[in-house]
Amino acid sequence: MCPIKYDIVVIGSGPGGSTTARYAAKHGLRVLLIDKRQELGAPIQCSGAISGNALENVEIIADDEFIQEKIYGFGIYNEVGIKTTIDYRTLKPDEYSKSKKPLGFVVDRRRFDRYLMTMAERENVEVSLKSEGLNYTPEKNGTCTLTIRRFNEEIKINTKVIVGADGLQSQVGKWAGLNTHIKLTELASCLQFVVDGVKTDGLLEIITGDKWAPGGYAWIFPKGNGYAEIGLGVTRTLAKQNAQRYLDQFMKESFFKDRFLNARILEIQGGGVPLTAPLNIQYADNLILVGDAARHVNPITGGGIHTAMASGKIAGEFLAELIKSDKEPTKENLKEYQERWLNAMGNKMWQLYQVKHNIFNTKDVLLRDEMLYNTMSNYFSPESEYKKI
Amino acid sequence: MSHESVIFQIGWNACINCGACIAVCPQPPGFVTSFNTIAVNTACDIACMACEIICPVSTIFHLKESEIANDPTFIQLNPRQY
Repeated sequence: MCPIKYDIVVIGSGPGGSTTARYAAKHGLRVLLIDKRQELGAPIQCSGAISGNALENVEIIADDEFIQEKIYGFGIYNEVGIKTTIDYRTLKPDEYSKSKKPLGFVVDRRRFDRYLMTMAERENVEVSLKSEGLNYTPEKNGTCTLTIRRFNEEIKINTKVIVGADGLQSQVGKWAGLNTHIKLTELASCLQFVVDGVKTDGLLEIITGDKWAPGGYAWIFPKGNGYAEIGLGVTRTLAKQNAQRYLDQFMKESFFKDRFLNARILEIQGGGVPLTAPLNIQYADNLILVGDAARHVNPITGGGIHTAMASGKIAGEFLAELIKSDKEPTKENLKEYQERWLNAMGNKMWQLYQVKHNIFNTKDVLLRDEMLYNTMSNYFSPESEYKKI
Repeated sequence: MSHESVIFQIGWNACINCGACIAVCPQPPGFVTSFNTIAVNTACDIACMACEIICPVSTIFHLKESEIANDPTFIQLNPRQY
């Protein structure tokens, strides 16, 4: 049975939620972390790529429990297969190699999310699975009452702040009347297969071109044990058909069709990736949003694990300071969370959104393809001004 | 775009529970199922069809409210509403 009073309740135990909970508890708050699912990370809606810096930033060790493959760089292709290779094994051999350190990882999201939850529990976060947030009511004393359903039992919890970390499909933001709606023009519709029989070489491969993935890109990521992920995301307002058909077409007709000849599909996964600007307002009385729920997703790459964890750290540390200083969790006081986040990464994400917006609003398809290919090629280079986003 | 209310149905066999339909849905909170999809068997008065369009595997369908009265299969599956 849950005790009924917490400093904060985090709804959603993905990377953003569990990181918020861990840092808040580490700094002395009493924290409840709930998730409606029975198995974290599932159903998988993500390719699982994350940089080494992103893990270091939130003090997570790259543990074999969740690492599926070490990554050393990128291969960016245009529509006909011309390639820009950005392999840090050759660009910075003193720093990155098999015997030294990798640039990043592909993680198993089921194990990764469970690992992050475990790390939060070890900081005394209380966790409750099969527990869904239903609604909340502000109280006169500045706190609020959150109603959750745990299995089939409704429970009322008193808390100072609710952290909505409930992902792309966030309902928590809607509870507070925040404008969380994503336009159809700004949500990539994604599908990927985990396959056997497709060779990879420690690079994240990104294939651009309107023919293969209009308003997005296709990818081939190593997945460990000889497996790979082949997927793509499309913007439906620029696409003539659904993601599934584009993926079929990519596998059968692209310059990689011979490479995919022996691909055997092991899993089918999909999701929506917000290629949008972060929310203008990510806070309300007694409530803040982190991660996908606040659209903390890199609008160029679609990467969201790093940005979610980084915002979770900012949120957890900020809430600890706020609550320990006995300030009321009003929207005026919670605004500082967003300001800290903007300073740390948000302003750069807004710039990236402008870059993305300019590319996909270019009417000339050939020019748009060229812009995306050049942007992707520059983005992942060691000189990129955005490399920590 | 239709301005008549619609009721969505989902081909569950093809659904990959990705949640993209919820993300583009302009309805207030709660217009969802427990399976990470937009609500089924509940009328949608916005009928923007963004959920159908975004679905990566095209497994969201709809009936217009006026069509439902003539659809014996739907009434049989949802007897409490009719």
